[in-house]
Amino acid sequence: MAEILLRAEDLEVYYATRAGVVKAVDRVRFEMGRGETLGLVGESGCGKSTLGFSILRLVPPPGKIVGGDIIFAGENLLEKDEEEMRKIRGSRISMIFQDPMTCLDPLERIGDHIVETITTHDQGIKRAEAWKRAEEMLDRLGIDPSRLEDYPHQLSGGMRQRVMIALALILNSELVIADEPTTSLDVIVEAQILDLLKQLKEDYELTLMLITHNMGIVAELADRVAVMYAAKMVEVAEALPLYEKPMHPYTQGLLRSIPNISLTEQVLATMPGSPPDLIRPPSGCRFHPRCPYVKDECKEIEPPMREVEREHLVACHLY
Amino acid sequence: MSEKLVEVHDLFKWFPVQKSFLETLLARKLDYIRAVDGIDFEVRRGEVFGLAGESGSGKTTTGRLILRLIEPTRGGIFFDGRNVLTVNGEEMRRLRQRMQLIFQDPYASLNPRMKIGTAIGHGLEIHGIAKGQRERDLVIQMMERVGLTPAATLYEKYPHQLSGGQRQRAVIARALILHPDLIVADEPIAMADVSVRALILHLMMELKEEFDLTYLFITHDLATAKYICDRIAIMYLGKIVESGPLREVYSHPQHPYTEALLSAVPVPNPRARREHIIPKGEIPSPINPPSGCRFHPRCPYAMEICSKDEPRFAGTKDGHLVACHLRR
Ligand SMILES: Nc1ncnc2c1ncn2[C@@H]1O[C@H](COP(=O)(O)OP(=O)(O)OP(=O)(O)O)[C@@H](O)[C@H]1O
Ligand SMILES: Nc1ncnc2c1ncn2[C@@H]1O[C@H](COP(=O)(O)OP(=O)(O)OP(=O)(O)O)[C@@H](O)[C@H]1O
Ligand code: SF4
Ligand SMILES: [Mg+2]
Ligand SMILES: [Mg+2]
Repeated sequence: MAEILLRAEDLEVYYATRAGVVKAVDRVRFEMGRGETLGLVGESGCGKSTLGFSILRLVPPPGKIVGGDIIFAGENLLEKDEEEMRKIRGSRISMIFQDPMTCLDPLERIGDHIVETITTHDQGIKRAEAWKRAEEMLDRLGIDPSRLEDYPHQLSGGMRQRVMIALALILNSELVIADEPTTSLDVIVEAQILDLLKQLKEDYELTLMLITHNMGIVAELADRVAVMYAAKMVEVAEALPLYEKPMHPYTQGLLRSIPNISLTEQVLATMPGSPPDLIRPPSGCRFHPRCPYVKDECKEIEPPMREVEREHLVACHLY
Repeated sequence: MSEKLVEVHDLFKWFPVQKSFLETLLARKLDYIRAVDGIDFEVRRGEVFGLAGESGSGKTTTGRLILRLIEPTRGGIFFDGRNVLTVNGEEMRRLRQRMQLIFQDPYASLNPRMKIGTAIGHGLEIHGIAKGQRERDLVIQMMERVGLTPAATLYEKYPHQLSGGQRQRAVIARALILHPDLIVADEPIAMADVSVRALILHLMMELKEEFDLTYLFITHDLATAKYICDRIAIMYLGKIVESGPLREVYSHPQHPYTEALLSAVPVPNPRARREHIIPKGEIPSPINPPSGCRFHPRCPYAMEICSKDEPRFAGTKDGHLVACHLRR
């Protein structure tokens, strides 16, 4: 792997709720090389968004990072004070969400929003110059620069998502975390955005964390893939081996049960059961109640993450 | 008994655009959203007919028209040979029992204050088929059939106490208990989790055989459609642009829009990363759709005639129909 840009060690993020403590990210570790795209996949509720938010230290309450380290460009983000974090957010690490409306102010023209983002991080820049940079960015992302005058509701879903990408890129962030960036879009607009991200990856040497439940999108874009199940990382590998030789039984089941448009004769397999409750997760391997290969030790001992093949990490007693 | 369970002829549904009083005065004329703008298709008994297309293309409106939940602007709808639009109230009630709807959000389609068992059995009472202990027995039987077990326990639960997958099973049970001929399934798995989706699809296919069902399967997901549809129609801006046997349409798409749609679907295989043929821009407004072929402003093959004349919807071969000037 190239230079390591981001590394998480034994990261733990909990939500204290009335029903109990939801351990949404449970002793997770992973690395991201500079310039790579890491696909983070897993079913709804497994902790993907929580993990993404924790990197920016923006886990929504009652969520809290309760343990571990997040090392970004050599520095531990969990040791920074709030003022230092504010500088990092947006300028060095930025995030793109599923629903752009949550970040766009309905009463603010998108041009003003982008200009403000530029000027808060660079007090020296003139407004006219910032506006010009915003125009260039929009043009680069395939939106007519005159749309800077528009309010968010005047844009289509696809255009709003492009504006989010503009906000993420305008300060040359080193790391972009995209959480389900195309999930609410139609398939053609989704493909347009994915093509755009593909291009930007190259042009800006982006390091991209792509969070999604869609294995197709990850296959289009990711260099490496990390699979989460019930708040745990269960498998991490380069994209090709992960799809062609998945090792964790959960990854295997997931890949067999997703629809594929290619017209090969193939049936859609089913995976029994449903993801567990994160307040009282199963003992041992969390996947054991649904695993077709379950052994006695799976029920008792939690399998550690091991490098089973070169650059292919799996947490499963089968290996 | 007709081979064609549903026939739709030249069907239109235009919704008036809501405007302020002043706007209406100034414009002097109403604008319409052309949700369904002249479509033709048939659903054959025993098949799964897919209706696919992007958001706003008119799929749900078409489903609701067939069930006569809304009245068309004009056109014909026949169910088992009978004109749905002219039958009297009593006959419509009987027809309605034979066509049932399953829709996307099982949470929204279940009354939050009604127990699951009561909700499933409700139709039996309404149609005077069973009540009391007999109703309960039928409900428990159907719950067991769709995998809502232990049925006696779940019977007493309220919708919020079930998982998403269980709620969708409840909605399926409620539709099936009346032994319908046709099920209009409007994005039945769109909100379900990845591992639940395949289970629900399998269940739907098993039930189809067991209960001799015909499905009108509405979806925006062409990959899922592949596993269950025999034939498919692709909608764009209120029109069907192409229809035919699914394998035929997928392997030899005749309409440039179908081609684009198929190529846009991400494939879960990193070796299959390909250059998409993605049309520029986004779907125009259904209020003033483009002249001629509605796809012409985005079509990579558009010719002069495309912006002038509307292409006829006609057959190439084997019931494969397409509306495109390239195919003439
Ligand atoms: N604000 C909150 N309060 C309590 N629990 C929460 C909160 N936010 C998330 N959770 C719980 O934490 C777990 C992880 O949630 P998270 O949103 O990170 O999952 P996800 O993988 O992003 O799911 P999705 O694919 O649905 O977006 C879930 O069990 C969820 O219910
Ligand atoms: N009751 C209504 N009043 C006004 N306009 C409507 C109404 N119902 C639907 N429309 C409009 O008609 C068009 C077609 O809507 P429809 O819901 O049939 O599309 P769809 O293909 O089902 O889309 P989706 O994939 O988003 O469910 C849209 O432009 C929609 O906004
Ligand atoms: S009719 Fe013309 S514009 Fe429409 S799809 Fe065919 S070639 Fe393209
Ligand atoms: Mg999420
Ligand atoms: Mg719909």
